[in-house]
Amino acid sequence: MNNIIELKNVTKEFKVLNRHEGLKGCIKDLFSRDYKIVRAVDNIDLEVTQGEIIGFLGQNGAGKSTTIKMMTGVLEPSSGNLIINNRIPYTDRTKNSQEIGVVFGQRTQLWWSLPLVESFKLLKDIYQISDENYNEMLELYGSMVDIETLLHKPVRQMSLGQRTLSDILAAFLHNPKVVFLDEPTIGLDVAMKSKIRELILELNRKKNTTVILTSHDMGDVDALCQRIVIIDKGNLLYDNEISHLKHFFGIYRTLKIRPRENVIEVANKLKDELYAFEVSITNDDTWISILVNEEKNRIMKVLEAVQETHAIKDMQLKEISTEDVIKKIYEGGVRN
Amino acid sequence: MKNKLKKYFALTRLGIIETFQWRLALFVMILGNLLYLTLIYFLWKAIFSSAGNDVVNGMTFEMTMVYLVLATSLYGVVELYIVWEIGRNIQNGKIVLDLLRPIKYKHYVFWENSGVLVVNFLVTFIPTFVIVVIMTKGTIPLGWNLLYFILAFVFSIVINYNIDFIVGTICLYTESIWGINIMKQMIVALLSGATIPLAFFPEKFVAVVKYLPFKAIYDTPLTLLMTRNPGWQTVISKLGFSLFWMIAISAFSGFFWRISIKQVTVNGG
Repeated sequence: MNNIIELKNVTKEFKVLNRHEGLKGCIKDLFSRDYKIVRAVDNIDLEVTQGEIIGFLGQNGAGKSTTIKMMTGVLEPSSGNLIINNRIPYTDRTKNSQEIGVVFGQRTQLWWSLPLVESFKLLKDIYQISDENYNEMLELYGSMVDIETLLHKPVRQMSLGQRTLSDILAAFLHNPKVVFLDEPTIGLDVAMKSKIRELILELNRKKNTTVILTSHDMGDVDALCQRIVIIDKGNLLYDNEISHLKHFFGIYRTLKIRPRENVIEVANKLKDELYAFEVSITNDDTWISILVNEEKNRIMKVLEAVQETHAIKDMQLKEISTEDVIKKIYEGGVRN
Repeated sequence: MKNKLKKYFALTRLGIIETFQWRLALFVMILGNLLYLTLIYFLWKAIFSSAGNDVVNGMTFEMTMVYLVLATSLYGVVELYIVWEIGRNIQNGKIVLDLLRPIKYKHYVFWENSGVLVVNFLVTFIPTFVIVVIMTKGTIPLGWNLLYFILAFVFSIVINYNIDFIVGTICLYTESIWGINIMKQMIVALLSGATIPLAFFPEKFVAVVKYLPFKAIYDTPLTLLMTRNPGWQTVISKLGFSLFWMIAISAFSGFFWRISIKQVTVNGG
């Protein structure tokens, strides 16, 4: 099978000036040649076939964005080979752009003060989309979302959800082979999140578009991806089917509670009291987080046990976070 | 070719539509220009009356005023504040999106701003020109000189844009805009004849300035516009000078951008 994306030993290093502190330091910095090399991406191999949806995970600063910027052609790898769609994206950026689409979180590529339809018409001309394909695409959009209201609304009057939706539609408009979605659901409410997930999934199915998705929201990844790639400190930590991991983060849940009494005291007491449940307990200033393995113990049992000895002001139930998944992988909970 | 032009004109079209969205800004700009013109009227009136001569440096008061009025309205057309835009996009990281267009970045930024240029030309330059022609009754000839002006004006736009683009590229290294941009504006305003006609400068100064590209931005088009029967040699040497600099500076700005973009470490995200 043909790979649409191929990375081989890709490394990216940045040269960063060592900054000094204070007024004296900043004057010193003016003439300083004291650089350090930061390796943002370290020797990554990756192969993606046409039509896959890949979840690209990692903590902030792990090297996700750098990798994506290299795949789109904005950054040049320091070493290694990177081929997208039989092209080297960096040397052939303008041509490569014709066949990729991007949505970068909170940034919009739409024309702020004009109705959405004007941005679409512009994209039609600069990507040289034929009338036939353009109309077909709009029809497809019409079958998924209420496109008519969106089209005639100035972008600056849209809600964040509507704008994100529009940005995604704009990224798919020229029917690209690969679409990069960087945090597409950030800041949205639950209903809008699920609407956007459905939209991405349907566009992927109908157009066989490859989607590279980065997100901090495990829900996004769970709903969309067949395969997950995790990057940590520039290294490829995990690359496998989601079912592998799903079994894992499906059974872990975090129970967050806010006790009436002093948080630290209660947290310490709970460590002893819940010893039998084999949970791990962490706390910050207001919340105590209890990570429960539901295969071993039901979460309601744990809650009951807590409630017996402590008064609870507030509680939340959370899916496991990306950070916890990475932690568990390091601990050896999952094998690649 | 046709499709390629369509790409660019689609950007111009959208720029025009967007400019008209901000109606109030358009009126404020015209008002601002009128205030500026009133100011230079009294300034130069004072200069001429203190000189005690009707002709200073070979220019009459009327000619000087006509030159400056046209230079001011031309400035409103040619100055697109590209450095601000590139600098801002580098700082907030939006440049990533513009780099990922199927159009070269240099061309994309130009055509994205070309709508403003068209609107300003129609809304400020043309009316100003018509008013000046009517008020001065024959000071400005209406013949071939209009054609020469149009040619020189096109060169002027390209040269000015490329200077801006070069300065904008410097922002990739500095990641700050303000100081660099102010310096650029001052240098261009002074050496191009936008604020003071070049005839008023000391000879030795002009001897250097006349070889620099800046004068092709305001001095050349305006001189060609205001000169009656300039003679073939003058026209060809002036347009040739502009054309040469246009090609040279476009080539340089493209080259400079290509080596600089390797430096880019896109902010944010």
